[in-house]
This record gives sequence, structure tokens and C-alpha cells, in this order.
Amino acid sequence: MDMTTNNKPGLHPGGGGSAADDLFTFAEYRHAQAEFTASTEYSYWRSVWRNFLRNKPAVIMSFVFIILFIFTFVAGVIGNYRYDELRPDNKLIFLFPNDEFWFGTDNLGRDYWSQVWYAAQTSIKLAAIVGVGEILLGVVIGLVWGYVRSLDRFFTELYNVVNNVPTIIYMTLIALMIGQSFLIMAVSLICFGWLPTARNIRNMVFIYRDREYNLASRCLGTGLWRILWRNILPYLISVVVLRLALSIPSTIAYESTLSYLGLGLDVNTPSLGILLRNARSYFLDFPYLLIFPAVIVSVITVTFYLVGNAFSDACDPRNHL
Amino acid sequence: MLLYTMKRLLQSIVTVLLVVTIVFLLLRLLPTDYYFTEEQLIKLTDQQRHDQLAAAGLLDSPFVQLFRFYEDLANLDLGTSRRIQHGVPVTQVIGGKFLVSMRLGLISLAISLFLGVVMGVLQARYKDKFGDHVGTAYTVFVNAVPTLITYSLVLVLGARLFKLPSMYSVRNVARSSILPVVCLSLTSTAGYMLWTRRYMVDELNKDYIKLARLKGLSSRKVMYRHVLRNAFVPLAQYLPYSMLLTIGGSLLVERFFSVPGMGTLLTDAISRYDTSIVQAVVILYASLGVLGVFLGDVLMTLIDPRIRLISKGNTR
Repeated sequence: MDMTTNNKPGLHPGGGGSAADDLFTFAEYRHAQAEFTASTEYSYWRSVWRNFLRNKPAVIMSFVFIILFIFTFVAGVIGNYRYDELRPDNKLIFLFPNDEFWFGTDNLGRDYWSQVWYAAQTSIKLAAIVGVGEILLGVVIGLVWGYVRSLDRFFTELYNVVNNVPTIIYMTLIALMIGQSFLIMAVSLICFGWLPTARNIRNMVFIYRDREYNLASRCLGTGLWRILWRNILPYLISVVVLRLALSIPSTIAYESTLSYLGLGLDVNTPSLGILLRNARSYFLDFPYLLIFPAVIVSVITVTFYLVGNAFSDACDPRNHL
Repeated sequence: MLLYTMKRLLQSIVTVLLVVTIVFLLLRLLPTDYYFTEEQLIKLTDQQRHDQLAAAGLLDSPFVQLFRFYEDLANLDLGTSRRIQHGVPVTQVIGGKFLVSMRLGLISLAISLFLGVVMGVLQARYKDKFGDHVGTAYTVFVNAVPTLITYSLVLVLGARLFKLPSMYSVRNVARSSILPVVCLSLTSTAGYMLWTRRYMVDELNKDYIKLARLKGLSSRKVMYRHVLRNAFVPLAQYLPYSMLLTIGGSLLVERFFSVPGMGTLLTDAISRYDTSIVQAVVILYASLGVLGVFLGDVLMTLIDPRIRLISKGNTR
């Protein structure tokens, strides 16, 4: 903060005294100096990155996650059977894992390896789409909800109404009326998922909305979106990242629950829930039907959860510098 | 306070009505074929079906039906079930189910509240020690691993190692309830642990704790008499809510162990298109939710007199 010295050229102490213009002259405007604040070396995202890299377990976990994710694509190719060429075969039911069927076979005699990896891939894809969609919608609406007072009443009422009906009702109605598919599932999960995020963001906006710097900014005529985007959102980045990180494991869990209940994806789109639903009657006798999908999906969700937490900590500017 | 209560209750009634109206109209968007079983659809002629629907008043415009529904509601009549138990009043259908859910729910709530708070306190007391890390690992596991997988693991372990029944049965309620209760408590214990620990750690850094320690109070007394009392306030807010919601039951647990409770009733009612049951259950859920939040606020002011629901003077 070197503003006083910057203004020096404009000051003429003890000069003349006849007119105000002689006493005060305009300071020379230098853009670089006007923008000059603290450390020039500081870059937000570079600090985030540096902080994150310092957390060794998290870095290892993110490698595990990325490798597993890539492997879901590779696995289908290196296995002995392609997912879309699977046929029921009575002679091959309930084979324990062996050389040909690496994860064994299910109750219809189909190769389990290709099913498990395909299901894991579907679950991750759905969770990623839903997570990002939820956060985008939730953050934009949450910012407006928190900032524009006249909208608060409307959104709060909307939140109460939607939140008080078990989502299961909406999901069942959607499954009955529109049908079941990957796209329908993704859209409807986003439609019901953005509200809690928006609510969370709204409560955060309330904290910063009436701070002095925002009042000043408003008085200077800053537009709505610029205030939201440049004045308020930066405070919320670590919250947003945390929500995104938690939303992906929880979407995977929610999808599996819905599909298990028969309200999620259709039977031809294998996902974790569908696999476990098919296996429910058999996995007491054939535990491998549970163990393989359970371990793979759990490793994916747990690593993502921990990496997300670590990344969110790294995003908090209070841990920087 | 009385005025505030009245206002809150009135608002809640509006919310509940709004919710049930939305569900009511959504249900009427489905084609009327859904009112019949597949067997009936094949057997009955179009004319017969038409007559039956007309007799039940289901062919009128949705808004006429809605007003009839409001009228019945004002007379506290929730209608009769159509498909789940034909001709039986809805209240009776629900009455038979909610005790099952509530028993499981309350037992597991008691278990998880006790275990969760005690473990949370211990975690806070021995922060950054080995036990604390184990506890954190447990909460991460429960939060990150999909519930369906956790339940499946409990099922396999319980059924194979302890020879417990894998399905709920009315004949052997006590033994067959064990696994559902374990599943329900396993997940919610983690929640109570996490938050108890978080609030306790926050409280522990405050000045009055230092004073209590300086006075020479034992560590145990500081923990339970001072810290826990303050840390419990935010937890207490959700207590009535979770107690009331036990009536609603847990859909996944009930479906997983074939428990004949409220959780499965709702989805069954929707997929079999038993509209009056769906409406009644929605009213029940919504009122329980709204009431739970309100009671939570009241309980919070009772435990912590510093909190007031009605603001005094000008606050933003």
C-alpha cells in the first residue's frame, strides 16, 4: 500500500495560496500503480495448486482415482467379452472368478467383469454430469437468491415446497410419466439437486452482501452480475468446490439407491444399483457378485471424497501465502 | 411467542396444502389406465372401465376433483384405498404400517444418538490421537461409500457370520429387526459423531473452557458439564425432526429387508396408483417435516436461553 508516495508529485506544500488550483493539481494517473496492491507474485489458482500438491496423500489418491477412471474404459476392451455382446447362457451361471471370466458370471451366465466396469463407468459419468449441472445451476441461482432481496420470498417458498415432499415421489412420477433413461435421470437429478446447493450459497451470500466494500461498490454503480461475480463469488470458491466434491460420491450413492428401488436407470443401462439389485438374491451364496462392484465403486467414491476435501482446503485463501 | 407460534403454524399449513395440491395435480396427469390392475385392463370392457371411473368421480376435471378433495380434507376424511387394500380407509392402512417403521426408527435413533455423541466427545477429547483418526476414517467411510453397498456388506456379514435372518419377518420380529436396525444406526451414528466432534472442538477453544480448567475442574467435568451442553445445542435442533421422521421410515432399508413399513408404502402406492394413499402419505410427510423444524427451533430456545426466535429491536 504505497498510495501516499504515489500521490507525492501532485502535492505542492506551501505553494502560492492565491487559488485552489495552484494548491492542488491532479496526480498523474498510472494504471499499473492504481492496480498495485500487495504481492505481485500472488496468483490465486497457482497458490491453490501449490497447496494441493503439498498434501501428499491427496495427490496419491487423485492418481488412484484417475487411473481407475481411465481403467473403466480400458477394462471393457481387455476383457474376454464385450459388454454389448453378452448373451445369457444357462451352462455358465454362477461361475466363480477364473481365467476366462475374471470376475465370474452372474445368474444368467453373463461375464461379470465387463458388466462391473461398464456399470462403474456409467455411474461416474452420471455423477459427473449431475454434479457439475447441480453446482452451476445452484451457484447462479443461489447468488441471485441471496443478493436480490425481492426474490428471497419466492425461492424460500419454492425450497420449502420442494424440500417437504420426499424426492422419491417426484422420481416415481417421472419414471411413470416420462420413462427411464440416462438422460431423464440426469436431468431430473439436476432439477432436484440444485436447491440445497442454492440454499447453501444463499446463506453464504447473506454474510457478504452488506459488507462495506459491497456498499461502496454499489454506490459506484457496479452492475449486479459484476458484484456477484467479482465481489462475492471469490469468497465462496472453497464452499463451491467442497459441494462439488461431495456431490459426486453422493450422486453415485443416490443413483444406486434409486436404481435399486427400480426408479432410476432402466435395466438395460447397467449401473451400480442395477447390478446390486440383480445380485441381491444371490450374493449371500455368491459373495463375489457383491465384492467386486462394492470394492471398485467404494475406492472411486472414497478417493474422490478425500481428494475433494483436500482440494477444497487448498482453495481456502486463508491457507495461502 | 404465542403470536409467533400461530404465525408459524399458519404458514406451515399453507406449505402443506401447497405441497399436496402439487402432488394431487401431478397424479392427475397420468392416464386413467393406471387406476386398474393389468388383469382388470384385460377383463373389463372400455364401457365398464368408464362406468367405474365415473362412479368414483375420477373422470371430472382435475380441479373439480381437487375441490372435492379439499372438502373431504376439511371433514378430516382422507378417503379409501383403491388398490393396495381395496375399500379400506387410508388412515387404517397407514395405521397398520407406521408402527413398524417407527419402532425400528426410534430404536436406531436412540442407539445412534448415544453412540454418536459419546464417540464424538471422546474424539474431541483425544483429538489427533489414534482413536480420533479411527473415528474420522469411519465417518469418511460411511459418507463416501454408497449406502447400498454398506447395507449389502452388513447383510452379508450378519447373515453369514452371525446367522441372522436376512429378511424381516412378522413371526420373529426381534431377531429379524437386528440387521435393519444396525443398518439404520450405522449411517446416522456417523452423522452424530461428525457434528458432535466438530462443535466440541469449536467450543474447546473458547475462553470459558480455559477458565473452567483454571478453576481446577476435572477434564471429564469440563467435557460433559460445559462443552457438551453448548455443543449439543445445534444438534438438538434436528432431534425432533429426526424423531418425527422415523414414522416415515427408511425406504431403502425397508425395501432391502422387506420390512412392511411406511417407506415402501409410498412407492407402492405411487406405482400402483393408489391416489388417496399417496395424498395422505404426502400430507403426513410434509406436516411431520414442517412440525419437526418448528419443534427443533422451540427445543433450541429451551436448551439455550440466549437464542430467541422473535428478534428484539432492529436487526438486519
